Amino acid sequence: MKLQNLNFKILCLHAFLILLAIIVLFPFAWLIIASLKSQEDFFSGMFVPPGDGLFGLGWDKLTLDNYKALFKLGFGNSLVNSVFYASASALFATLISAATGYILAKSRFRGRSFITLIVLGALIIPPTLLIAPSYELLYSLGLLDSIWGLLLPTFAPAFGVFLFRQAVSQSVPDELIEAARIDGCSELTIFLVIVLPLVRPMIGAFMLITFLGMWNNFISPQIILQSESKQPLSVAIAQLRGVYRTDYGLLMAATVVSVAPVAALFLLLQKQFISGLTSGAVKG
Amino acid sequence: MTNPFDHLSEYRQYAWGHRMLHSISVALISLRSLSAGIWVIVALFLLSGIGVLFSTQSKSHKLEMWVFSPEHQAMYLPMIESQSGDERIKPHLSLLSIAAIKSRMMSGFFGGLPTADLIEVERSTVGQAFMGPIEAIGFRDLTDRMESEGLLELFNPPSLSPWSVQGRVFGLPHDVHPVMLAYRADLVEAAGIDLEQVETWEEFFDALAPMMTDADGNGINDRYAMSFWYTQPDNVELLLLQGGGHLFDAQSKPTLNSSINAEILSTIVSWCVDPSQPVIDIDEFSAAGHQARIDGKAIAYLCPDWMCSIWKMHVPLIAGKMKLIPLPAFKEGGRRTSVRGGTMLGFPRSSENFDTSWESAKLLYTSPEIARELYRSVDIITPVRSLWDDPVYDEPDPFFMNQRKGQMYIDLAPNIPTRTSSPYNTSAVLEVRDAAVNLASWAKSNEMYQPEDLEAKALELLEIAHQNIVRKMARNAFTGVEN
Repeated sequence: MKLQNLNFKILCLHAFLILLAIIVLFPFAWLIIASLKSQEDFFSGMFVPPGDGLFGLGWDKLTLDNYKALFKLGFGNSLVNSVFYASASALFATLISAATGYILAKSRFRGRSFITLIVLGALIIPPTLLIAPSYELLYSLGLLDSIWGLLLPTFAPAFGVFLFRQAVSQSVPDELIEAARIDGCSELTIFLVIVLPLVRPMIGAFMLITFLGMWNNFISPQIILQSESKQPLSVAIAQLRGVYRTDYGLLMAATVVSVAPVAALFLLLQKQFISGLTSGAVKG
Repeated sequence: MTNPFDHLSEYRQYAWGHRMLHSISVALISLRSLSAGIWVIVALFLLSGIGVLFSTQSKSHKLEMWVFSPEHQAMYLPMIESQSGDERIKPHLSLLSIAAIKSRMMSGFFGGLPTADLIEVERSTVGQAFMGPIEAIGFRDLTDRMESEGLLELFNPPSLSPWSVQGRVFGLPHDVHPVMLAYRADLVEAAGIDLEQVETWEEFFDALAPMMTDADGNGINDRYAMSFWYTQPDNVELLLLQGGGHLFDAQSKPTLNSSINAEILSTIVSWCVDPSQPVIDIDEFSAAGHQARIDGKAIAYLCPDWMCSIWKMHVPLIAGKMKLIPLPAFKEGGRRTSVRGGTMLGFPRSSENFDTSWESAKLLYTSPEIARELYRSVDIITPVRSLWDDPVYDEPDPFFMNQRKGQMYIDLAPNIPTRTSSPYNTSAVLEVRDAAVNLASWAKSNEMYQPEDLEAKALELLEIAHQNIVRKMARNAFTGVEN
């Protein structure tokens, strides 16, 4: 009797989870089917256009033409650009934020509190407020329409610096650093060998946040980069929207191309990232 | 006993290179503890870095042109490529969104930052560039140059108005955008109704009244005469302009509280609140709206020339079922068209290549090939009057039952209303829209549906809208408007 109750509960639970999964996956299924429809068929049915095939649907009307057209338009280049900007930003922002956070947390120097306050203060400034001054600064530095102009401002985010300062303060005991110094370790060695492994959970999380942030970034590349050859996917997709008309099939194919790599990457590597996130949670 | 510090001092005698090697090996050992996900990102960085390093770099160009429409870009490229001479004086086209053009253009004008040599600007964006004294406008005054080269006469005069400030022209017009009424001819003709003879809005609604039936008896009409609602600011402005209304005078002073505005507003609001309700709100650009068009939910639509290409692409199922007629007038003998949208080509003052840019601009904006392509690809007629007799405009259009659509729009082009270039126009249109919403609400609560019953209230609400705009403009010392 108890076993039967248990099975029933599990069945209900799974039915509920399947329902939730359908709700979550429905827009993705729609997106993929829409990307396979021609412009003529786009509004002719919710999913597969009507036809003479199985279930009265026109399966033969689904086509890969939108994807072919997309890559003819140079989307491959935009895809490579997006991967480069996101990975470069994630790597350097993590490294620089971790190093700065370590210095602010563990080094004693004049002005440390003031710098920490500035970092904290920078957190409350809305990013949109910084667009115009950043543009002028990049112009003065001759960095407009350059990859560096886009990447440099992302290398030392105030959020990351403060996050790592807190992580180092809480996870790295002063005694450990002092012991390393007594053993003759340089500051760089201490940072790389002692500090980084101890803040490993934060590294995984922050890298994930930065990678996705840059992958989805639209405003900065739109303002800073002018050459089409340097544009990331987010901007290239926006350019597909015509003023007079929009090829929705093409737009949906571009959206799939932009969502699929990053979704696949994090679905495949979620265990690694989650293990990174939780490894520091339990102390032995 | 050995002193441990002896080893330390010994270690410090190593060469700098050895220490670096040591640090690197230590770093590599420590990095081994990082998760596989992080290593994948490192690998992506290295691989994509190689791709970016070897990607083709764009050629250096002397002239830069910003456009916001992929269709315009596709039309201009072959023309630019066919230009003979130095590659560097051919404009390089950058396709940017309207928002990006606005941000970069205004940063350039306010902060002295670089902009392109030629910028295509949409009407909704250009107002901000015209804010401030005339001598501080970031675009070059083209009036004298156009006059000396006979271009002022070349372009359709009303099409210059949105790009003119105090009689000075700051941009070349790209289009005219006259408006006609498109209707489902298949349904209308099946009902034995002839809309070709209709002259006024009243006659139009009377003619279609028999088609507004409720076959299933659910209290809701199955069909409506027209798609329009007072919450659509663009269409409210379009009808106000058609009826002779105006939101600003020639000196860009607000005139929202005029009696003609009140008259038009009360008429169009009455269409929506009347118990017989001949109009319905159908979205112009959404899938739901397109489906309603296919279903024939509304019979007629306000149709600027650019809308034709949108329907051809998004609602191909109504091809061969539509026809066009001039807009019915508000009064007999009144204006039979209006205008909606528009684009200009501006030349920033900061550009040092004006003469070269000017020659390129003339090529793109006055060439018969571009005009023809503009019509064929997006159904837009050129503002260059000398090109209006091109045979392309006489071609029958199968989408509109083989009507000679181009010529029909051209016949109306000289009569489009003149428009303001005031930077406060968008705000004013939204204020009028709000007045329309309040008027509709008042009409329903008082059960007053006739235009003449609504006029006094409309005037009262427009006065409030007018004062709101006056207050907004008074904050700007250069408008000459005081609170």
